[in-house]
Amino acid sequence: MAERGKVRELELAVSARGVTKSFGRQRVLDSLNLDIPSGMTYCLLGPNGSGKTTFIRAIVRLLRLDGGEMKVLGRPVSEVDKIYSQIGYMTQHKALYPDLTVQENMEFYAGLYGLKKQQREEKIEELLRMVDLLEHRGRLAGALSGGMYQRLSLACTLIHEPELLLLDEPTVGIDPRLRQTFWEYFNRLAGEGKTVLITTHLMDEAEKCQRVGYMRAGRMAAQGTPEEIQRLAGLKPILKLWLAEPERDAAQLLAQGYEIDVVGGVVQVHLERHAQIKEVLATISPRDMRLEEPKLEEAFLRLSEAT
Amino acid sequence: MSPSFGRVGVVALRVIRQLKRDRRTIGLIVFAPIVLMILFGYALSGDMSGVALGLVDDGGHAALRAHIESIKDFNILYMGSESDAEKLITEGQLDGAVLLRPGQVQVLLDASSLQISGAIAAAVQAAASKEKALLQKAQESPIITRYIFGYDLEMMDTVGPAILGLVVFFFTFINAAIAFIRERSQGTLEKFMVSPLSRVEMISGYVLGFSLFTILQSATTLFVVTFGFGVPLQGSPLTALAVVLLLGAGALVLGSFFSNFARSEFQVVQFIPLIITPQIVLCGIWWPLQSVPEFIRPFSYILPLTYAAHALRAVMLKGAGIGDILYPDLLALGIFFLVFFAAATLMLKREVA
Repeated sequence: MAERGKVRELELAVSARGVTKSFGRQRVLDSLNLDIPSGMTYCLLGPNGSGKTTFIRAIVRLLRLDGGEMKVLGRPVSEVDKIYSQIGYMTQHKALYPDLTVQENMEFYAGLYGLKKQQREEKIEELLRMVDLLEHRGRLAGALSGGMYQRLSLACTLIHEPELLLLDEPTVGIDPRLRQTFWEYFNRLAGEGKTVLITTHLMDEAEKCQRVGYMRAGRMAAQGTPEEIQRLAGLKPILKLWLAEPERDAAQLLAQGYEIDVVGGVVQVHLERHAQIKEVLATISPRDMRLEEPKLEEAFLRLSEAT
Repeated sequence: MSPSFGRVGVVALRVIRQLKRDRRTIGLIVFAPIVLMILFGYALSGDMSGVALGLVDDGGHAALRAHIESIKDFNILYMGSESDAEKLITEGQLDGAVLLRPGQVQVLLDASSLQISGAIAAAVQAAASKEKALLQKAQESPIITRYIFGYDLEMMDTVGPAILGLVVFFFTFINAAIAFIRERSQGTLEKFMVSPLSRVEMISGYVLGFSLFTILQSATTLFVVTFGFGVPLQGSPLTALAVVLLLGAGALVLGSFFSNFARSEFQVVQFIPLIITPQIVLCGIWWPLQSVPEFIRPFSYILPLTYAAHALRAVMLKGAGIGDILYPDLLALGIFFLVFFAAATLMLKREVA
């Protein structure tokens, strides 16, 4: 338990410096530098084969790195087996027993992590409610639908309240409403000081994370908050204004130094910061307005082209 | 991390829950032995070599003696008295003995190994008729045959105990190999690797969980063998169970070890000719070890079923206790288990590359 307190004070849950891994001639991780601060949700994005899963497997030492330095919860990665009880790892394989019931699968994983009966029952109940499987607890896991199976796998991964959660594509096949629930839960965990690392190829998921890293060909193409990434890619939010006298107002905005376009009578202001909205509205009073945030997807597309 | 019995128990409970739900496998475990016994119960015998035969010569049958000595398949041990011969047969040192006395020939046979007994009896019979022809006189020397264990054994009696070992070995090996293949393909193995569960705990949990089904299988097989087929059970069923549990544990770790060389359940089935068949052929189940060609025989002595079959026969037919089968049978089974336990544990690698 003393261990846990210590971990919380550390700033980085995972830090990788010049991490390299090749499979044969193929270099999957290429001098990768990556920091995951503790107590937040971090999304690792990237196309298939960019090295996301390899990186996660390296964190838990399912494969040995060729070079570089990596620390996990403050320990060198070579000692990570000593803190397995603080790590929750959800693979793309789901890792469930189809011939056990939902409840039995949960009990099995709870037992592996040494949860006592009382604590076990409470935790199972809480998690099954979160993943919306409470009424299916007596069903065989093999009889569940793909999405339900996925949800059970997530619940099993969370059973021991890990400090560091490594979730490899956790929301594949989950409907949007439940995905929202997951994200709320992940953010709550982050609020409690736990670190949640998620890989995905869905942009809208990445936007829900506190930090995003974009991997490409085994390297970090960009990392930061979703907003930072957009800025890095040179993308700005656009304020669309429907005005009574578009030409006059446009001229005024131009005079104040704003970058604007006029498309079909609608004035579009490219904002540097969201705070500028107030300044714009102090100058003019539109009939109607809409703020368009740039898509993260676009940002990454630009970054991909740039690298 | 020190091994935890709690985690071993958690794995064992899970294995039991899974097997319990698999009705077809349970059915197979229980009924396959019965079918096997009916199918093979009346099997064949082959040519033999290396039969240990005692010879007590009180004179009067020089020609008969010469003939028996000329049979190169017999390893003859000369001894002074009938009681010596009887004692060695009881201890399993001799397969039989021939007592030559003026006017009488007595044959002592080990009843627990019928093919060998048959071969000895036939050889003596042949020698006697040869002697009769040679001497050209009507010297009638009655041949008295006596079985040491006092009952007429049927083929089933010798095969039954060995089948008990065979079925346990077969099903545990296959089920364990498939279970470990599944752990791999389901991704659960990878998940264990990133959990406090150690490799030793995992395999121990399997051994524990599977043991319950080994007990179930052995109990039903023993019941059928003794009550259905009338095979004597001289020793304690608990002793027999101990042998079978040790054999089952060995088969489990062997299955776990070999699962590393298969990529699918289908490929596990392909191990049958490689792993199971040699045991059936070479372990003295259907025909005695003595009929296995000498150059392959050393191979028989590294197969666990050889020792299990020998020990089970000793327990069931001769009433042997644990102390009687400790060496070499239980020792060999124990070594086999430990070697493959270590091998299976080492093969469950954490780092894949």
